[in-house]
Amino acid sequence: MAYLTVDGAIKRYGTTTALNGVSFSVAKGEFFTLLGPSGCGKTTLLRSIAGFSQLTDGRVDLAGHDLLSVPPHKRDIGMVFQDYAIFPHLTVAENVAFGLKARKVAAAEIRERVAEALATVRLTALAERLPAALSGGQQQRIGIARAMVVKPRLLLMDEPLSNLDAKLRLDLRDEIRAIQREIGIAAIYVTHDQEEALAISDRICVMDHGCVEQIGTPQQIYGQPETRFVASFVGTMNLLAPGAFGLAQVPGVAQWALRPERLRLAEAGARARDGAGGAENGAASIAGTVEHFSYLGREAHLTVQAQGHRLVAQIGAPPPDLAIEAGRQISLSFDPADLHAFDAQGRRVPAERAA
Amino acid sequence: MSAIAVPATHRSWRPDFWTLVAVGAWAILIVLLLLPLGLVLVSSFRDESGGLTLANWQRLFTSTRYVNAFINTLIVGFGGLTGALLLGSVMAFCMARIRIAGGRFVSMLAILALVSPPFIGAYSWIVLFGSGGIVRQTLMSWGIFMPPIYGVWGILIVFAFKFYPYVYLLTSGALANVNRSLEEAAENLGLTPFQRVLKISFPLVLPALSAGGLLALIHAIADFGTPRLLGRGFNVLATEAYTAYSAEIGSNLGMATTLSLALILMSMVFVFIQRFMSRKNVYHSNLINRPEKVRLRGFANVAAHVAVYFIALGGAMPAIIAAIYSVRKTNGPVFQPGFGLDSYRRIIATLGDVVQNSLLFSGASVLLIVVIGTLIGCLVARRNTAQTSLLDATLMVPYVMPGIVVGVAFIAAFNTPPLVMTGTAAIIILSVFIRRLPYAVRSSAAALRQVGPSMEEAAISLGYSPVQAFLRVTIPLILPGIIAGAMLSFVTAVNELSSSLVLYVGGTITMPVKIYIAINDGDYGTAASLSTILLVLSAGAIYLAFRLLGRDERALL
Repeated sequence: MAYLTVDGAIKRYGTTTALNGVSFSVAKGEFFTLLGPSGCGKTTLLRSIAGFSQLTDGRVDLAGHDLLSVPPHKRDIGMVFQDYAIFPHLTVAENVAFGLKARKVAAAEIRERVAEALATVRLTALAERLPAALSGGQQQRIGIARAMVVKPRLLLMDEPLSNLDAKLRLDLRDEIRAIQREIGIAAIYVTHDQEEALAISDRICVMDHGCVEQIGTPQQIYGQPETRFVASFVGTMNLLAPGAFGLAQVPGVAQWALRPERLRLAEAGARARDGAGGAENGAASIAGTVEHFSYLGREAHLTVQAQGHRLVAQIGAPPPDLAIEAGRQISLSFDPADLHAFDAQGRRVPAERAA
Repeated sequence: MSAIAVPATHRSWRPDFWTLVAVGAWAILIVLLLLPLGLVLVSSFRDESGGLTLANWQRLFTSTRYVNAFINTLIVGFGGLTGALLLGSVMAFCMARIRIAGGRFVSMLAILALVSPPFIGAYSWIVLFGSGGIVRQTLMSWGIFMPPIYGVWGILIVFAFKFYPYVYLLTSGALANVNRSLEEAAENLGLTPFQRVLKISFPLVLPALSAGGLLALIHAIADFGTPRLLGRGFNVLATEAYTAYSAEIGSNLGMATTLSLALILMSMVFVFIQRFMSRKNVYHSNLINRPEKVRLRGFANVAAHVAVYFIALGGAMPAIIAAIYSVRKTNGPVFQPGFGLDSYRRIIATLGDVVQNSLLFSGASVLLIVVIGTLIGCLVARRNTAQTSLLDATLMVPYVMPGIVVGVAFIAAFNTPPLVMTGTAAIIILSVFIRRLPYAVRSSAAALRQVGPSMEEAAISLGYSPVQAFLRVTIPLILPGIIAGAMLSFVTAVNELSSSLVLYVGGTITMPVKIYIAINDGDYGTAASLSTILLVLSAGAIYLAFRLLGRDERALL
């Protein structure tokens, strides 16, 4: 059931086009992420929904009513900012109460709801502090509490975690998701971090150059990328030319692609141990020279030079004694069923046609 | 992306708040700046009977008197610039890089030099080094001959000590911000200490040095009091403009406006030259390592301290002398041996209205400056259109208008209908207002650019209208900056002499004007005590500003 619909959103600045006909819809309670490289138009779109930027053309409806004719302060849409935008002259509690005061909520209820919101983001102890002394993570928690406490009809988040360090980013990411579920609010989240998008979203909209590349669940986006752009932007992709490594020359397929974790290390001798597995299971194999090996603990990355291609293989749970020096000849194998096929325009070629 | 520019709907055009501010800003600039300037231009092409003529410009270029004034203005301008650069850069280097005992006291003395009331400076130099000056008389009695301070050299010495703070404050700030790693890298690459200063530090502080020099130069060519009092026949454009305007017989507004224009053009040329010079030389560096202050030893240490204290005390000397002379016993205008509060008693008894005028006029102009300056500043900072850029550029004009010129221009514009203001308090208030407005616009725009638009957007997303968001979030955030700016504007307003001197009448006389008259009348006790009152007021305002803004001497420029 569509709660928010964006229809044919176009935004031009002079001669540049920031949004080129973007359409999607978000269901009530859904966590929807706009993912793309910087300059793809995701922030412009978010700001247009908030009302801080005007679309050149297109429609936005919220709960069945036109949104664009409503002035931004009457849209009742919460927003969390990349730079936190915490009011430095107000205490933590006053920051959270700010939106409730605009709604003329009674003082007693404000106190109650602020306390509740601060408890949710675990900032109760800091309620009377000024924000200047707080860390980035704490400031962004205030930002989340401030936006949520007014119970807006929609929550917008503009790269809320990008200014935080890695560890904090993971913690707050899970917290945001938990709070959003608890309140059951529809949320639109903007990020350029594909891992973050996969982890947090119900559905993801991948954008590039002002256009929608693909909309789908994290599993669809990662597992069934509709375009070559999605395939290489979300996760890593090895791109293989038709004809290389004995790959078939299928009409309409301009490129094959393979995820690094689908490449298996099949060293000389290993194949015999597996019971000459390759050919029988329909596996293809690639012989190449190791260029670089990096051990990351829970996984290891192997860069291999083979037939003019530079391939990355990911080895899950590598044994602690695993060390492969550069220059060594090795053999990699993969299941052709794991291949993705793209046409000359970079669009996905369905498996049945590519076979 | 503007937080303010959010017209709600696609309905028919209705002027929003900021459009009204823009219209108001242009109305103010046209009436108080462009119109008077235009009339100055017209009037320079008019003869006494109102006919069109080139005679004024012809006289400017042919009459020996005016040609001399022109050349003399260049002499005091560049002489003052040289002196200020010399004293200012020595002081800046010592204060920024060497540990100086009593450093805070020294920078306080520099501020004192900056806010000394006009005129009292030149007078104090006469008290010490004039024909009958104390120091000169003492030296003469020891058999050491010393020429009196009058003439061009006297003016240049006074200018050097009066204007060095501009160079010092800007350059020491820049020197303290040169990333130490840069100098260490140069050292590491094999440069000698001297090469290091020449090739790394000097280019990095050059923009600040030239900006400080420009301020000294512009103030030097606009200065009216010092050449008037010390010149003894050494005339400059500013004094000639005043004379042409105020001559009891044959007052010549056309000549006064021609001289004023010459002065503006000269200032503008210098501004453009400085802009051109430092056009490419703006360096941004992320500051990680502040340079450390070196502790010198032995002779070098003594030399550095002597240099710093010599400059600082020299610059603050006029203020100190004024304070001392204000408590000398007097009998009428004549000083008596011993100390007493006679001068202050006389001020309370007879000059209460002068003090009151000064406070009232400064207060009123500061109020206007703050309210209108803040609004225009927000407009300029938040709406980046061709129209606001033009507004910003137009606001540069008062920077190059010497006070005398503003006074003459206001007389030219507001002496005849439709708008007659000559002789009123309003004309003095407005002249101070238009001169100081650009500073307030600049400082509030700068404060606003620091706040960033997302604060206001956050408030709007929480349900506040754009105007409410501005009032409840942005204003509280920039308020300390605004009040500090108001205090600094008050310092300039209360010390304003040259435009008021042209515009005052008996009932609207202010303290600086009264000081000028008192010195001319030989009533030094009154002049000294009025100056001391001005100093105390200025110091109080600066103290407040520093409390609010954090101590930043550069805000005074």
